[in-house]
Amino acid sequence: MKEIIKLGMILFFISMVAAASLALTYDATIDQIMTQRSIADETARKEVFPAADTFEKASNEKMSELQNINPAIADLYYAISGGNVAGYVIKTKPSGFGGSIDVVTGIDTEGTIMGLRVGNHQETPGLGANAKLPYFYEQYEGLTVNSPIKVSKTIPGENEILAISGATITSAAVTDGVNFIDEIMDHLNK
Amino acid sequence: MDIKNLTKGIIKENPIFIQVLGMCPTLAVTTSAINGLGMGLATTAVLALSNVFISMFRKVIPDKIRIPAFIVIIASFVTIIGMLLEGYFVDLYKALGLFIPLIVVNCIILARAEAFAFKNNVIDSLFDGIGNGIGFTLALLLLGSVRELLGAGSIFGISLLGAAYKPALIMILPPGAFLALGILLAINNKIKERKTV
Repeated sequence: MKEIIKLGMILFFISMVAAASLALTYDATIDQIMTQRSIADETARKEVFPAADTFEKASNEKMSELQNINPAIADLYYAISGGNVAGYVIKTKPSGFGGSIDVVTGIDTEGTIMGLRVGNHQETPGLGANAKLPYFYEQYEGLTVNSPIKVSKTIPGENEILAISGATITSAAVTDGVNFIDEIMDHLNK
Repeated sequence: MDIKNLTKGIIKENPIFIQVLGMCPTLAVTTSAINGLGMGLATTAVLALSNVFISMFRKVIPDKIRIPAFIVIIASFVTIIGMLLEGYFVDLYKALGLFIPLIVVNCIILARAEAFAFKNNVIDSLFDGIGNGIGFTLALLLLGSVRELLGAGSIFGISLLGAAYKPALIMILPPGAFLALGILLAINNKIKERKTV
């Protein structure tokens, strides 16, 4: 009995020191980590909408209005250029092969895609994960969402993209993520 | 202090090919050479530091509760390293951050703590950690290179087999990990057999 208490106390002491050092490190680094994350987010938005000067987050009311139309809409930023809304940066979460995929699309007010990036995902390495490579995502630049974008397995035609070989489901999912935007296009402006 | 502690982990007691430790991350991340290298280097850093820590505290940790104590100590400081990297070394975090949560419960770390660091002094433990880390890195790099070469026709993203090569996609899918590892283990055993004869 005595030994159990003694061992318990030692383990308690070790855990306490560990918890305290974790808490202290968290406290010391959290501001810096948040700054780094927001820099990374801002850079990511700039990548899909290079023409914008700043980005402004949409209000919560706006977000819930959009999510009522399609729950896969995850985030909306207004791309501001010269004081006017030049377009939008929209994050959607379509379902891929291994779960939801973060698709970030920069789109102007006319519905033309300025840029697209694939963020977090659980797609198969070497296959679906190739959606993060430029040869795939750059295909979307210049297409419009006014008519649905289609996925081709051979030669892409008008408003079509070429699927990643061996990963048609992922390619279709990313395309879904873009096509979702058409549904909300009329509701985007403030 | 014995330099053998540094060298033995590289080939003679290679964590993957001889000790067959840490199979889970080994199989999961070696879809390409760069992933293997990243995981290997991140593990080396953690292994060296965790061996030093465990060795430092080996006199105060009672034998009976050493395993939970190891886990708490290792998991805490890996998390601390992760937070520091994310805050202050962003580029390094981007390259290795993905692997850090995978390392926390990697059994190589626990195995070296249990088998070596708990019984040896700090310097030898540091050597053992670095040696095993290098061995682990080389093995992952080899496995990642073989799988990437057969499965995508390239190594480190540089195409080697030309456009005419039709990649065997299975090699970068989970079954390919078992196939490649099994074949490499067999080759390794064959070479060892020849040496002893």
